[in-house]
Amino acid sequence: MPRRLGWGFWISAAWIALVLGAALAADLLPLPRYDETLVGPPQAGPSLAHPFGTDGLGRDVLSRVVYGARVSLGVGVGAVLLGLLVGAPLGVLAGYRGRATDSVIMAFNDIALAFPSLVFALAVVAFAGASLTNVLIVLGVLGVPAWTRLIRGATLSFAGREFVIAARALGARDRRILLREITPNVAVPAASYAFIGMAIAVVAEGSLAFLGLSVQAPTPTWGGLINEGRAVMDNAPFVVLAPSLVMFLTVLSFNVVGDRLRALTDVRQSGLEPGRRAPALAPAAGSRTTVVERAGDALLQVRDLRTHFVTGRGVVRAVDGVSFTLERGRTLAVVGESGSGKTVLIRSVLGLLPGAGVLRDGEVLLEGRDLTTLPPKELRGVLGTRLATVFQDPMTALNPVRTVGTQVMEPLRVHLGMKRRQARAAAAELLSSVGIPEPARVLRRYPHQLSGGMRQRVTIAMALSCGPDVLFADEPTTALDVTIQDQVLRLIHRQRQEHDMAMVLVSHDLAVVAQWADEVLVMYAGRVVERGPAEALFERTRMPYTEALLRAVPRLADPAHQPLRLLGGRPPDLANPPSGCAFSPRCPYARERCGTEAPPLAEAETPGHLYACWYPELVGREREIDREIDTEGVDTRGR
Amino acid sequence: MILLRLVRLLVVLLVVTFLSYVLLNLLPGDPTTQILGLSASEEARAQLRAELSLDQPLTVRYLGWLGGLVTGDLGTSYITSVPVAEALAERLPVTLELLVAAQLIALGLAVPVGVAAARRAGRTLDQVLTTLSFGLLSTPVFVLGVVLILIFAVKLQVLPATGWTPISLDLGWNLTSVLLPAVTLGCGQMAVYARLLRTDLIATLQEDYITLARARGLSPRRILWRHALRPSAISLVTAVGLNLGALIGGTVIIETLFGLPGVGRLIVDSIFSRDYLTVQGGVVLISVGYVLVNFAVDLVYAAVDPRIRHA
Amino acid sequence: MAGSGSAHLRAPEEVLLRVEDLVVEFPAGRGRRVHAVSGVSFDVARGETLGIVGESGCGKSTAARALMQLPAPLGGSIRLDGVELTGLRGETLRRTRRRLQMIFQDPISSLNPRRRVRDIVAEGPRVWGTGEDRVDEMLEAVGLDPATASDRRPHEFSGGQCQRISIARALVLDPEVVICDEPVSALDVSVQAQILSLLEELKKRYGLTLVFIAHDLAVVKNISDRVLVMYLGKTCELASGDTLVRRPAHPYTRALLASVPRSGLDLPPADRLISGEPPSPVTPPSGCRFRTRCPAAAPRCAAEEPLMRRIGPDQWVACHHPQAPTQQGPPVS
Ligand SMILES: Nc1ncnc2c1ncn2[C@@H]1O[C@H](COP(=O)(O)OP(=O)(O)OP(=O)(O)O)[C@@H](O)[C@H]1O
Ligand code: SF4
Ligand code: SF4
Ligand SMILES: [Mg+2]
Repeated sequence: MPRRLGWGFWISAAWIALVLGAALAADLLPLPRYDETLVGPPQAGPSLAHPFGTDGLGRDVLSRVVYGARVSLGVGVGAVLLGLLVGAPLGVLAGYRGRATDSVIMAFNDIALAFPSLVFALAVVAFAGASLTNVLIVLGVLGVPAWTRLIRGATLSFAGREFVIAARALGARDRRILLREITPNVAVPAASYAFIGMAIAVVAEGSLAFLGLSVQAPTPTWGGLINEGRAVMDNAPFVVLAPSLVMFLTVLSFNVVGDRLRALTDVRQSGLEPGRRAPALAPAAGSRTTVVERAGDALLQVRDLRTHFVTGRGVVRAVDGVSFTLERGRTLAVVGESGSGKTVLIRSVLGLLPGAGVLRDGEVLLEGRDLTTLPPKELRGVLGTRLATVFQDPMTALNPVRTVGTQVMEPLRVHLGMKRRQARAAAAELLSSVGIPEPARVLRRYPHQLSGGMRQRVTIAMALSCGPDVLFADEPTTALDVTIQDQVLRLIHRQRQEHDMAMVLVSHDLAVVAQWADEVLVMYAGRVVERGPAEALFERTRMPYTEALLRAVPRLADPAHQPLRLLGGRPPDLANPPSGCAFSPRCPYARERCGTEAPPLAEAETPGHLYACWYPELVGREREIDREIDTEGVDTRGR
Repeated sequence: MILLRLVRLLVVLLVVTFLSYVLLNLLPGDPTTQILGLSASEEARAQLRAELSLDQPLTVRYLGWLGGLVTGDLGTSYITSVPVAEALAERLPVTLELLVAAQLIALGLAVPVGVAAARRAGRTLDQVLTTLSFGLLSTPVFVLGVVLILIFAVKLQVLPATGWTPISLDLGWNLTSVLLPAVTLGCGQMAVYARLLRTDLIATLQEDYITLARARGLSPRRILWRHALRPSAISLVTAVGLNLGALIGGTVIIETLFGLPGVGRLIVDSIFSRDYLTVQGGVVLISVGYVLVNFAVDLVYAAVDPRIRHA
Repeated sequence: MAGSGSAHLRAPEEVLLRVEDLVVEFPAGRGRRVHAVSGVSFDVARGETLGIVGESGCGKSTAARALMQLPAPLGGSIRLDGVELTGLRGETLRRTRRRLQMIFQDPISSLNPRRRVRDIVAEGPRVWGTGEDRVDEMLEAVGLDPATASDRRPHEFSGGQCQRISIARALVLDPEVVICDEPVSALDVSVQAQILSLLEELKKRYGLTLVFIAHDLAVVKNISDRVLVMYLGKTCELASGDTLVRRPAHPYTRALLASVPRSGLDLPPADRLISGEPPSPVTPPSGCRFRTRCPAAAPRCAAEEPLMRRIGPDQWVACHHPQAPTQQGPPVS
């Protein structure tokens, strides 16, 4: 935790502690009293005796600033507590109860927000008397709407989660759910806002004091000190600068602490430019392929591609030495479990990785031209016209604020230089070619007005718009319903045939792969473990992991309650992969050698069928060996 | 839909005016003392109360005041004998100019700064811009104002520290007199806006549709301005509306600090002289402005995001 | 109000859970309503596993939550062991609801990120004050080591392990019916197999009754005794898994089966069995809700809603023109 908060947090926290400590212990510190005049010559500059100098009446400015902190911080802390005590329960109530309760509370909140708060504070303090309690109460009450809004939002985002439903199913009462399930989750954003709120309250108190409407002289407050200091600004600027600086630092510290706390739940960063090339780590010993890739005139050839991410946990070897060759008119399927590096592989081929912290190595040859060394502008030309992409989730693949038409027409206009009218006609034609009824009407719509299947058709149309040579489809149907899934896969397949493209189809569904792929590449822990023509790979599997994948899926044709073959354990941590064969901890056939030496890719009987395993002859004989798999919590159900 | 919102808006205004009327009247302090002085006799006070209809119940007075409001009559100040509406109308242009100038400066700087920072998220430029805006955000307006006056008016002597020239007199001088106050007021807002925009842009840049736009070979500049900016603008638009409250608070300070004859000053002066009616008028003016701006913000939402338009 | 019929329900005393004519609707703005579940009936006998299959938005999850009265359904009857659940309030509801437990799809949001595994699993016993001796047993039963797992928080576990924790939490109160809402949809195939096997094992060991919801027919078939097919808030077909796959009678069931790639079943290509996209549940079609996509649709289908009727010893279908069995023998495997 401390590491993620960063040094800014700790410096700020230290400053707050310092100011707070000084304010509390002001009477014990060796300082002159704040109202003692002529402790030194008036308007004297900073000196050892008076580090912040003296004001027009010869009072010690440091002392006045320290005593001023009592009011400023007192109001800050008090106002936040008050706002929290009133606002948090209201917010939790509104967010958890919803419906009428929510509407009523939020309506009041809207009204409260329409009140000009500072003006109101001024009026109340002026008429009711400028005392510490009045200032504190007014600022506290004015903070309530913001608290309510914040806590309501946080509550709302958790109240709908399944764990709350589960708690209700267990029979927990509302009070217990609020206390045990909601409160701990709302606490972090609340703590964060408490610090921001203190910053706001300190500034607000300062504003009141600056206008002469906070605690009255002679008690010093920061705002009041700054206001007084203005009079002698010409001759003694430090009188105004000292409290200004202290106030600034304190407000800044509150803001930094609040911001860092909030960042604990923040998103990670990204960049727009392709990453600078930095060599990836050397391949692990013994993983070199023994089979030499056919060099030459293939459409797309990927050679020893490696993509590593530098993370807090160490270097993650997401893709670690992948090679393949793809000819026109063929479909290559990439399969593997979640986290095996399929998506990263596609994105590294296309150069679409985030900017910072990425190490890349290897070649991507499109008809012999290495894309990884192209300057960004040329790469963009290739990306737009020759390589095309479809992603998994059609809900997020289209820009929500632009019409379908603008988006489909964009590549036509940018890359093919079409005029608007021509592009519109071409776009309509594209849409109808992917089976969208009434294309002209759809062009004028926004993505959210279309169903998931329709949106995926739109993204396919966009991918096809410039007549690409290779189509990369990363799980194009995983987010769709089964019946729609079939429609979309058929469509993609037909388009691939019609346009004589090559296709890389990423999928975790072996049935999909078996039906649509010519060649298959199985990935495990960032490596290729088996690769080859689909038929050979499925019929004469040589690699235990591929076999396990095939067996783990229930099949429609099998009778109900047919026991599934179990693959225990889970994929390895890519920052810290096991030595030897990465699959050895889960492999039913593993022997001693597997734990020490990584198997290279070797060629099987069928040409082009490669596998990485020391004991391919054992595959398919698991029943005979029949040994228990040692795993993290797999049952031992009898067969 | 719009009709419904307008009704809601009216209700909010009614409640705000009523509450502020009641609150201001409940606060201790007696206008008769302000007008007649401490030594006035009880009869004189009672007579004055009757004259000002202060002896009537609060709700009756409020309704009377509301009736006046509809015809644009906010009452006449007991203290200065100037009609409140007139006093406000006279001061309003100054405050409006200040607000608009500050908002223009803030937005004009925030968009390029936010975009530049998001584009290079995590790199040096981003870190510098983020740190700077964090600093600005943490500087109270009166501190910033004092420091700017110290630099530009006291040391460099290039800009006036105080005073106001109306546009009608001289445009050039007008701009000079509004520059420092507007910068002071706009800087903090600029930082708030830039940070919001940066955060939202970074989130947007991680969306699939941005990666896909890159995969389509579009240039980073095009992706930023045409694809990413609009979906990232929602929080910014909200902030512009909500921050109006903070900005108006800021104008009170700024007008005091720079000696500008605006509404904020008028309200502060009226508060000190216990001029209830003027304060009440000011509060109403500000609330109306706030509510109207947020109504406009709702409309802008719909323009920015079609999902809201069709909801 | 015509539902999709209840001819397929067994006698009340034979079953543990009996749901009749369940209706759930949500407001959809501008006075319109989402007809999420419209007159669905099913029952589950003690120790049986009922599978419910259908595409997204067909109302499976809504029906599951309505069983728990979270939120309570708009209409219909839900009887658990003869006790009517709808209309129960306050303490009685709380007491009865614990006899049903639920497992959710999303392993991450099913568990409170800020609580320790032990607290999560022990929540039920603590609420009811029944002592925590079963907690360790349950953790072990789902394949977690209580000694190492207890003090950790959910984010330290993988998706599959999180589902194990959810299962332990659901079983610790010894419920009679466990409703599994897509419990394996978010998991990898190898982990999916682990969880399916675990459920089968726990079912045997604790004599559980399961309602298992999923969109993957093969998964549902593997674990279920009977399978109910739903479409747009209505029931289509009910049969044992084997019958359903061998002799699908409802046009929608056939389309679903044909859409599974490499199923090894003898069916026409899916694009001849279904077309277009599901209509909006806000404005569902009249008569048979499948008629807008059904190749066999006839005028009668728009005018009259089909009711469930028996067409085989263990097969019921809601269709005016059920399809002839396509295949007599067992499927090629
Ligand atoms: N920007 C990144 N920084 C650090 N690690 C990353 C980054 N992107 C991906 N990874 C890691 O790389 C590995 C491979 O991820 P990838 O997304 O390619 O898997 P996948 O096979 O596509 O999985 P899925 O089936 O879930 O889509 C994972 O361990 C992932 O956590
Ligand atoms: S090399 Fe050894 S551990 Fe690896 S897959 Fe082959 S048999 Fe299993
Ligand atoms: S009732 Fe008619 S429309 Fe509905 S499934 Fe049967 S044949 Fe098709
Ligand atoms: Mg992926």
